[in-house]
Amino acid sequence: MQAEEVGLTSPEYMKIVELMHRKPNDLELGLFGALWSEHCSYKSTKALLSRLPHDGPHVVQGPGANAGVVRLDQDIEVAFKVESHNHPSYVEPVQGAATGVGGILRDIVAMGARPVALADLLRFGIDAHSLILLDRVVKGVGQYGNAIGIPTVIGDLAFSDTYRGNPLVNVMAVGLRSPEMHISASTARPGQWLLLVGQRTGRDGIHGASLLASRDFTEGDDDLRPTVQVGDPFLGKLLMEATLKAVSEGLLAALQDLGAAGLASATAELCDASGVGAELWLDRVPLRQKGLTAYDIMLSETQERMLLVTSDENLSQVVSIFEHQEILCSVIGHITASKELAVQYRDRPVASVRPDWLIKEAPRRPLSEAQWVSLKAPVAGGTAIAPAFDPRMVREVLSDRDVRDRRPIYRRYDSTIRSATIWGPSHDSAILRVRGSDAGLAIAVFGTGRWASVDPYAGGVGAVLLVLARLAAQGAEPLGLTDGVNAGNPDLAESYDAMAALVRGVADAARAAGVPVTGGNVSLHNETDGQAIWPTVMMGGVGRQPHPYSPLPDYLTASGDLLFLINPSELNLGGSVVALHHQGMTAFPRVDLRKVPHLLKSVSDWALSGVPRAMRAVGPGGLGAVVVRMMQGQTLAYGVEMDLKERDSDLTARLFNEVPLQWVTLVDSRDKDRAMDYWGNLGVEVTQVGVVNDTGTLSFKAQGHSWPGSTLLEAWHRPFEEGAYEP
Amino acid sequence: MRVGVVTFPGSNCDCDTLEAFEFLDVPTKHLWYADTDLTDVDAVVLPGGFSYGDYLRSGALAAKAPMMTAIRDAIQGRDLPVLGICNGFQILTEAGLLPGALRANRHGQFRCAWQTLRVTNESPLFLGLSEGELLRLPIAHAEGSYYAPAGTLADLFMSREVWLQYVDDRGDLNTLTNPNGSLANIAGITRGNVAALMPHPERALEKAFGSEDGRRLLMAWLRGLQERSAHAS
Amino acid sequence: MPSFRVLVTVTLKPEILDPAGQATHQVLQHLGYAVDNVRIGRIVTLTVEADDANSARGVAERMAQDILANPIMESFECQVDLS
Repeated sequence: MQAEEVGLTSPEYMKIVELMHRKPNDLELGLFGALWSEHCSYKSTKALLSRLPHDGPHVVQGPGANAGVVRLDQDIEVAFKVESHNHPSYVEPVQGAATGVGGILRDIVAMGARPVALADLLRFGIDAHSLILLDRVVKGVGQYGNAIGIPTVIGDLAFSDTYRGNPLVNVMAVGLRSPEMHISASTARPGQWLLLVGQRTGRDGIHGASLLASRDFTEGDDDLRPTVQVGDPFLGKLLMEATLKAVSEGLLAALQDLGAAGLASATAELCDASGVGAELWLDRVPLRQKGLTAYDIMLSETQERMLLVTSDENLSQVVSIFEHQEILCSVIGHITASKELAVQYRDRPVASVRPDWLIKEAPRRPLSEAQWVSLKAPVAGGTAIAPAFDPRMVREVLSDRDVRDRRPIYRRYDSTIRSATIWGPSHDSAILRVRGSDAGLAIAVFGTGRWASVDPYAGGVGAVLLVLARLAAQGAEPLGLTDGVNAGNPDLAESYDAMAALVRGVADAARAAGVPVTGGNVSLHNETDGQAIWPTVMMGGVGRQPHPYSPLPDYLTASGDLLFLINPSELNLGGSVVALHHQGMTAFPRVDLRKVPHLLKSVSDWALSGVPRAMRAVGPGGLGAVVVRMMQGQTLAYGVEMDLKERDSDLTARLFNEVPLQWVTLVDSRDKDRAMDYWGNLGVEVTQVGVVNDTGTLSFKAQGHSWPGSTLLEAWHRPFEEGAYEP
Repeated sequence: MRVGVVTFPGSNCDCDTLEAFEFLDVPTKHLWYADTDLTDVDAVVLPGGFSYGDYLRSGALAAKAPMMTAIRDAIQGRDLPVLGICNGFQILTEAGLLPGALRANRHGQFRCAWQTLRVTNESPLFLGLSEGELLRLPIAHAEGSYYAPAGTLADLFMSREVWLQYVDDRGDLNTLTNPNGSLANIAGITRGNVAALMPHPERALEKAFGSEDGRRLLMAWLRGLQERSAHAS
Repeated sequence: MPSFRVLVTVTLKPEILDPAGQATHQVLQHLGYAVDNVRIGRIVTLTVEADDANSARGVAERMAQDILANPIMESFECQVDLS
């Protein structure tokens, strides 16, 4: 077997020979190929990601484990992470998306946490085939999440032709655990048993990670594609219950899920993290079909499997828990003090490598301080020129696919199972009650699309800030962030630089806000026939919600209330829906990061002050879209009369700019002075932009335009198969 | 009064259902599908979920569980009250303990939504829910389209066993508010001491979650149980 | 033109995991049936007009390749009868 066949370069091969002091055999070469792949080793991004802020007062577990963990309160911790399944979802969208959900859920379980929520962040092209893929991916997400019984409580969806050949399917999972449930992959000790539990191993997805997700697609690559992995949420459910039971009874010494590169990656990571070796007996791995080689068994990506480590003393109890659920549970090896991963098959040694060679010695692309600094450099991307306001723009923006109602998607997901969802996917953030705590859990997500197309740095900043703005609108204290980075081929300078600038934006915004990024995922090679996607980061944030049973409304509640815009931005349409429709792609505005902590804190305190009647953060579609979404509420009884002082192109820019860190809030007219005093004392600009009435229409006082609510909602409810209204 | 809640492999609303009864201060017992002991429970709930992954047909594989044999015997022997929710409804029809079948939703998609329901016939199984009363409950299913042959359907109406129907917010029956293509908008039926519905009352116990009508429904069922056990003793 | 009835049997390729077949297998074993393997597929019945059985088969196979089966995971067989 040649190094190239497992995706290794010749310098990488030389390094392996140097490490081993001999030539690797085919199996050993396969192990290096898989674990040194982009997907498993993060070779192009590790140095970059290490620049993200990782520490904070609530962090229990930062990056490097199966998921990040933050503290909700004294008794409850939150494990959460976003992961991508882009390439498999393009090949087989239903199973690709389903196994993506299964995979991230097992990451959460591997931290000893019970999954309580899912969020899906999707990007598709706008051609007919892409819309079919969307339908299939949604089916897949629902098929797994609904069946395993974890609610999908929030999501994010955007479209562009850039994703036509590389749709993005990122899923975030959130779990809860008690601090006593601390378990990880780093606590295995010599003498303990290695158990493989779950599905029988088949020839599924071999080299899916190292080849499929670590190279670009070109036409006619079908024969390289491995057997499609099929998700089994039924077995996934049983496996989750049995594993969590074994964890809660304190029977496990260590735990690792099997994902990309299967048993090879799971054993290497576990041994490396624990600083131990292991002996594996592949004859004891239950197989689904005959004729599998050691190579197949080590690299199979069959789903619904976990690797458990337990002591001799606890072994029989662990086995009986899995037998009770009728799940296969096999001792496949033991932990040794040797620092070697020794693999035996058919009573012969077939491989011997050191786990740290596979993990720590993986080649890494360095990142100099100068490079890091340069990532922030301004981008020559053209400024958005705001077109003169045209009343038809209101429906045009509302009906844009990035703005319109996602209900046709999320109604296919169970969002109410577990009886904890107080706010679900019809809102900008999800709110869950947490059993055993007064605090609730707030979850917000947002991914870039247009925002990072021209100035990826500004887009990365924007995504972080919008997630935090949505949490602040509920007075939720942000505990941590997770990032899913999706980009093109890192070996091409243009793709790498764009991705790196995006990450720098995430790092700067998170650091400015004082919120750590505790883990995430990178998917590269989203590039087809030389066309890379826009670098895209999918951000997820979790927060402590102090009043889960009484969220601050995000809709109009009383006639006569005043609408205020908090922190009105400069009039810059860059990267917005309107800019795209009327001018094409332009650079997203950069925000002054120095005022971020003060703004977020002020808004969060405001949300909890009892004064505001409602609040929403400004996002895609700008102020205009926010006001219409607030009108919709439970009924269409209320309307808004907007009173904006801007005219012509300034009016367009005021209504539809998407600059982050703006909020719309409502106050009782009697509280006007209190509101003005509050914001005046904090030195934050607020401006009154309208008054709530009971007409059920949106009207512009000065310009004399008006739209019945039903006309606006018709635009907002436009089916995804249809394009936007065009003026 | 003790309510047993059965967990089949793949059930995923079992914990919510147990917690719902605990919330209503009702003693519960967690039952395992492979067991057959029902001696110390006064009524049984078959919860929602994806028993056996909904593979083959939803409810078909769970209907063959040892616990279902025990439940069938207890229904015949001591008129055991049984409430099926969502997948529980599917299991009861597959086991032949309720008439009809639940087919794939007509639009072919899973549907999670809030739905208004009308109490079509007052039932002694649900004391305090009166005819025409409206309830707002969440639905979440892919195979909830109720079907029964024409004769069976007529019998169900004649014998006042059609219990809940999907309606609009004003309580009117129409095809637009039928979320899954159920015949006659049927959402729940009763027969003898067995009742079942597709919506999830256990998810609507408090206003903060969108509605407390689920609590009303479960309380009515519990009152029905108490009333009948008082008569029997 | 004569009319043909084509039975298209779609099955998962042997190397592809069949969770539904696996769960059904487990229950059949619990019920005491001696069964070694269960795989679940589906049957599509088509009625097509064609000059002869061969061209009916050709049309059906194209439909199967195009949409009735997912070539990434499934294989199919067509059985043609004069209807």
